[in-house]
Amino acid sequence: MFSNTAMQKRLQKELMQFQQEPPKGMTIDTESVSNTLTTWIVHIEGAEGSLYHGEKFQLQFRFSNRYPFDSPEVMFVGSEIPVHPHIYSNGHICLSILTDDWSPALSVQSVCLSILSMLSSCTEKKHPPDNSFYVRTCNKSPKKTKWWYHDDSV
Amino acid sequence: MHMRPDEGEGSGGPMNADEAEVRQRRPMDEEGASAEPDGATGTSTQQDGHFECNICLDTAKDAVVSRCGHLFCWPCLYQWLETRPNRQTCPVCKAGISKDNVIPLYGRGSSNQQDPREKLPPRPQGERPEPETHGPFHNFGLGDGGFQMSFGIGAFPFGFFASTFNIGNGQFGGHPPRPNVPQNPEEQFLSKVFLWVAVLFMFWLLMA
Ligand SMILES: [Zn+2]
Ligand SMILES: [Zn+2]
Repeated sequence: MFSNTAMQKRLQKELMQFQQEPPKGMTIDTESVSNTLTTWIVHIEGAEGSLYHGEKFQLQFRFSNRYPFDSPEVMFVGSEIPVHPHIYSNGHICLSILTDDWSPALSVQSVCLSILSMLSSCTEKKHPPDNSFYVRTCNKSPKKTKWWYHDDSV
Repeated sequence: MHMRPDEGEGSGGPMNADEAEVRQRRPMDEEGASAEPDGATGTSTQQDGHFECNICLDTAKDAVVSRCGHLFCWPCLYQWLETRPNRQTCPVCKAGISKDNVIPLYGRGSSNQQDPREKLPPRPQGERPEPETHGPFHNFGLGDGGFQMSFGIGAFPFGFFASTFNIGNGQFGGHPPRPNVPQNPEEQFLSKVFLWVAVLFMFWLLMA
């Protein structure tokens, strides 16, 4: 069975690999990484040529001890939250790989890349239509939200 | 796609592979005992990165490969399939996958050629212990079988004749399973023995 130590080992590997070959515009805030590796913060810069160029965001990852079978909890934190049709102003992200379409073959790195590409493909900066209602009523953890996924076009 | 540093060495991998093959072909020249474990560990380290499980990212152990060609440790894949029993897809490519259509991989010299799917972790259900043929009175002292015998006085002779008849045929393990009381052969045997004891006791009573 996948034990706690196997989970730690996998996170250790991901951390090392991410630090050795960080994707462009991304760094791990090593100070944010707890001893148990269960919380990480990744700094992400908006890609060149996208609407978010020049902006910097922080993505927070939290791992349960069922990781990688259970998806990490991923959300934007800090003062800068991207204005995007699939990102709520409290940092929650509507992205299917974070819940229903999660797979243990995904990683912190691949999730970061997906989120960056979601930002890069955005054509109009606006909040989700239900933003104010959602932000008022949702749970603190985006993993508690029963998302239904609209179009993939943005 | 990123090249891993150890892949970048180009000729390093294939050279080692050739060496391993040469060694394989002349097993007699060397001490087979030492050559074999050496080769086994060698493949796991020198090919680092190629044979990593897609779930734990470690070298796959009890390796299985899916129809779509993706490699996993069996325990890792098993746990994933258990996580999503209703939607079993390959973690890498989302192709359909199931416990029954993955292929176990056996490296050379792996001492244990058992299908990894049959050991750890055990399948959830449907397991039935093989009937074992023990000598008489084996396990007799355990007493955990619970003889499951209840016979009223009235029905006793019939049960007793039926049973003695069976014993006479010597079919200790060969009875069809009883419809509602699943018993393993040992229990059946034990209840036969018990019956015989009861019969002898009755006999002794009658004679006395
Ligand atoms: Zn594994
Ligand atoms: Zn696959």
